[in-house]
Amino acid sequence: MIEVKNLSKTFTSHVKEPGLKGSIKSLFSRELVTKDALKPVNLNIEQGEIVGLIGANGAGKTTLIKILAGIVHPTAGEAKILGYTPWERANEYRRQMALIMGQKNQVWWDLPALDSFILLKEIYQIPDAQYKYNIEFLAEILMVKDQLKTQVRKLSLGERMKIELMAALLHNPKVIFLDEPTIGLDISAQKAVRGFLRQYQKEFKPMTILTSHYMEDIKELCPRIVIIKSGEFVYDGSLSDVQKMMGDEKVLSVTTQNGVFKVSVPRQDLAKKTHELFEEHYVLDLNIQDPSIEDVIESIMKNGIGAT
Amino acid sequence: MRRYLMLYLYFLRFSFSKAMEFRLDFSFRILMDILYYIVNILFFKIIFLHTPMLAGWTEEQMMIFVSCYILVDAISMTVFSSNMWWLPHHINRGELDYHLIRPVSPLFFLSLKEFSANSFLNLVIALGILIYSLVNYSQPFTVADVLLLVILILNGTLIYYCCQMLMILPVFWTQSSKGFMDLFFSMGIAMERPDRIFKGWLRVMFTILLPFALIASFPARLFIEKFHWPTFMHLTAVSIVLWMVMLFIWRKGLRAYSSASS
Repeated sequence: MIEVKNLSKTFTSHVKEPGLKGSIKSLFSRELVTKDALKPVNLNIEQGEIVGLIGANGAGKTTLIKILAGIVHPTAGEAKILGYTPWERANEYRRQMALIMGQKNQVWWDLPALDSFILLKEIYQIPDAQYKYNIEFLAEILMVKDQLKTQVRKLSLGERMKIELMAALLHNPKVIFLDEPTIGLDISAQKAVRGFLRQYQKEFKPMTILTSHYMEDIKELCPRIVIIKSGEFVYDGSLSDVQKMMGDEKVLSVTTQNGVFKVSVPRQDLAKKTHELFEEHYVLDLNIQDPSIEDVIESIMKNGIGAT
Repeated sequence: MRRYLMLYLYFLRFSFSKAMEFRLDFSFRILMDILYYIVNILFFKIIFLHTPMLAGWTEEQMMIFVSCYILVDAISMTVFSSNMWWLPHHINRGELDYHLIRPVSPLFFLSLKEFSANSFLNLVIALGILIYSLVNYSQPFTVADVLLLVILILNGTLIYYCCQMLMILPVFWTQSSKGFMDLFFSMGIAMERPDRIFKGWLRVMFTILLPFALIASFPARLFIEKFHWPTFMHLTAVSIVLWMVMLFIWRKGLRAYSSASS
């Protein structure tokens, strides 16, 4: 169980005017600015559930994940994961948790993957049988069997990400935080990572929070999503229901000589808007659709709910 | 405890197999360190051409002191240096994240992960120098004396490590520890001088606040001169307090890191 109650985080920093003059001034008087990275949020996640955390850059996704992983201390609020408060960093909690950040490496670059794994086996005290089984199982579905003895820095980005995933999951964590695990990967590597995550989720049923900028990741893996905007949750519910949030909107996809553009309009204005479009543009083609999940989420991320 | 030992054995194994890959660096480091040893030994040899006694010690006594700090230097070069020099970099770039999520002490990992197999031969040479100066020592001594000397040298290495950490840890708040590290290396010379030459506030400084004199000089003195309880107690007390202060600041630093990290 993950239970988060009124969790918030405020960063304090000082502003410095540019240039040398500003630097000297800041030695004597500092103007402090505070930024609410996370306004009080609540979240409950059950065993076996995988939740997609979506938000623009700087919306507070990584901050939330780092708090739950125990790296960052929150400013206020509570969180209990498997009964532990993450930032107290109890060994019992850390042994059951995994964090994977697409932008940071945890395996040691100058070692072959297998050497890193042996260190992790010792760190997490993974029993021999479980270790062997996991290496087999993970390497098999990630298709990296031949890369395990190569120094990690000599691997491609995609292979490295797969090794990162293996390394993070060797100890069969019950709680997994995945911060943009597919960032920078090509389409086929993204697919492989997604397929792996789905299979892993099915086999081991951990609680997972996943953030990604790729809607494909979310659509394929997360039945439930949380949309975060400027540190606040603006949506927490099922992925399929998110479309209803748009209410009675239709999306007009218009093709002119200059290309394609999209307009979303309330259903009752459909006739009027279509008419206008034909008057303003030389329309080659016109398509009337329901908004896609991507459209809805993008609109919520930009405008929040109800502001469409 | 057993787990940490096993982990350390793995660190050793990885370091040695890595060192085999870069052979040039291997020989270069050994050469540099041997030069350092020669300069240090010659320095005192030359002084003793002009005087039979220095700070109360004869030449052969001085050589025991010299080999003590050479050994401390060799151990910390091999065990800690590669880790410590990268620590400010790791802290600044927010690379402690993964260390904080693992069920092992991050301090253990960050201080010991990189064993400099490159300097390992220096460790052997430094040990050889100590054995040589003991063999050539004309006064009587017992096995227990040697055992105590070795333990105190290891303790001296820990003091050296703590002093260095105290100069690195401000990086948690200041973002740069360059100035502090320069200070450390210029004050580090204090380790290479007999403690009796420090008087007044310098003595307070180097035997209590930043106890460089306790690294090699006190151990050598306890060996050369008659065992002296107050000196031994002073050494023990300062070592323990220093270690605790270092751990305290380390924890404060981690706390600062966690509140700033985003």
